[in-house]
Amino acid sequence: MTNLIFCYPYFLDITGWGTYSFCMIELNNATKRYGTLTAVDNVSFSVQAGEYFALLGPNGAGKTTIVKMLLDFARPTSGSLSVNGLPSTQAASRNAVGYLAENCHIPPYLSGWQYLQRCAELLDMSRLDAMRQCGRIVELIGMQGREHTKVSTYSKGMIQRFGLGAALIGNPKLLILDEPTASLDPIGIREIRELLESLKDQGMTIFLNSHLLSEVEKICDNAAIINQGRLLVKDAISALVKDNDTLEDVFVRLVKG
Amino acid sequence: MKMPKTLPPIIRIAKYTLTDEIRQKSFIIMFAICAIFIFLVRGCYQGNFMVNGQTLDAETVIRVVSKLTFHVIAAGAMLLTALLSMRVFRRDRDEGMQSCVLAKPIARWQYVAGKILGLWVLSVMFMFSLHSVVFIIASINLNAVLPEFLIASLLCFFNLLFVVVAVFLLSLLMSDVFAFLCVLGIGIVGLVADGIYALSHSQMAQAMIGQSGAPSDWTWWKAVYYLWPKLSGAERFASSFIGGEGFPGFGSIYPLINILAYCLILGTLLFWRFRNEDIV
Repeated sequence: MTNLIFCYPYFLDITGWGTYSFCMIELNNATKRYGTLTAVDNVSFSVQAGEYFALLGPNGAGKTTIVKMLLDFARPTSGSLSVNGLPSTQAASRNAVGYLAENCHIPPYLSGWQYLQRCAELLDMSRLDAMRQCGRIVELIGMQGREHTKVSTYSKGMIQRFGLGAALIGNPKLLILDEPTASLDPIGIREIRELLESLKDQGMTIFLNSHLLSEVEKICDNAAIINQGRLLVKDAISALVKDNDTLEDVFVRLVKG
Repeated sequence: MKMPKTLPPIIRIAKYTLTDEIRQKSFIIMFAICAIFIFLVRGCYQGNFMVNGQTLDAETVIRVVSKLTFHVIAAGAMLLTALLSMRVFRRDRDEGMQSCVLAKPIARWQYVAGKILGLWVLSVMFMFSLHSVVFIIASINLNAVLPEFLIASLLCFFNLLFVVVAVFLLSLLMSDVFAFLCVLGIGIVGLVADGIYALSHSQMAQAMIGQSGAPSDWTWWKAVYYLWPKLSGAERFASSFIGGEGFPGFGSIYPLINILAYCLILGTLLFWRFRNEDIV
């Protein structure tokens, strides 16, 4: 009775029952075809609340398609996906979900602050709440002093930070990150890693799409490896990486067959 | 973090659309062109015009010039609306706002409704403000208020809604420029067809048809003519109020009903199409 799994909506969570966990994300035989190309082929797995989960795979494996289906950016050809215990096709499933896209873009004529404010307002926050949240987020992503300058003057790394900041607005319970450290320098990568670790400590569920296997190995609890749209393995990192192996070794071995 | 209610996200998306579009060069250029046009037209109100050797009285001149200006502004507003609408979805996609909005607990229909509302309000504001300037100029020159001018402007709002919805829908199906050209083509074909229709109903044309004696089947052409989006017809119906002709009768409402029906049909198709669209 220590880790019972319940798949019910987040808002039905009975607080105080810390030993119970529930599915934050669930894929049931999810398949996505684009014409004759099968991007995701009959994939099933689940991610529990509070888990730090990594979805790994080579380029074109179908990772981003899975993320898109979770956010209802793309509809599955067959199978089903649920987020927060609700079908991903329902807008309410994205309640308390933060998302950072692979190549984060922000309108160049806005300032980072204005962008964060828009994101907060879209969550139905009052102006005052939005201002408070944005101030906190700017501090969290380490962009104090640059928040009021135009995005067109930002570097890729700075845009990525503001993208992450936007994903964190509204204190989400689930964070979906598609290559969050793609445009960051080593110092930025470390800062983001530390930030994500602190978020995990606060009980946030993190779904990470990444190529940086060394980073994943350091911080994630569980990982799934997919190739050519098929799920190869899903397990705890500690179970996947044995003896003197690294996650990279396991990854290469599994993908190359 | 609570689920936003239905209306606020639509209004917020509309507000962002409006503020983003005002920054577009095409909006600024068109606004400048229209302002120059109105400035130049101002001089026409004081001119002396002669038709068949007879000098037109000031009131007729003012009404004719106002009507002409009304049509130019309405057509300009439609052109601007089409220009702005054609890139709305692509710009939002490229700048990351589409995925940013739709990753929030906001339904796709709310996003599309917000976009339509934002652009419609912007184009309506653009057209109404220009019409209002002409209304003020005409009223000062005539020493009388012309409320029918503003009523006519209000009736043209539906044309702008049609343009927004049609360009939005077509921009999901084809390239942006083609979507713009298609809607432009719909407007031009409608205008030409109205001209031909009016010409064919003139006494001279009727007499020529009667003389040729050859029976011709116009049923199909008539059906196409009546079913074609009647943008120019709706504009003409609206402008009929300005000439002091009063309400032209219920028969002439048809173009307005036609446009409203198209807005409804194309709007439904737009929501359905966007619902199945993959977000990049």
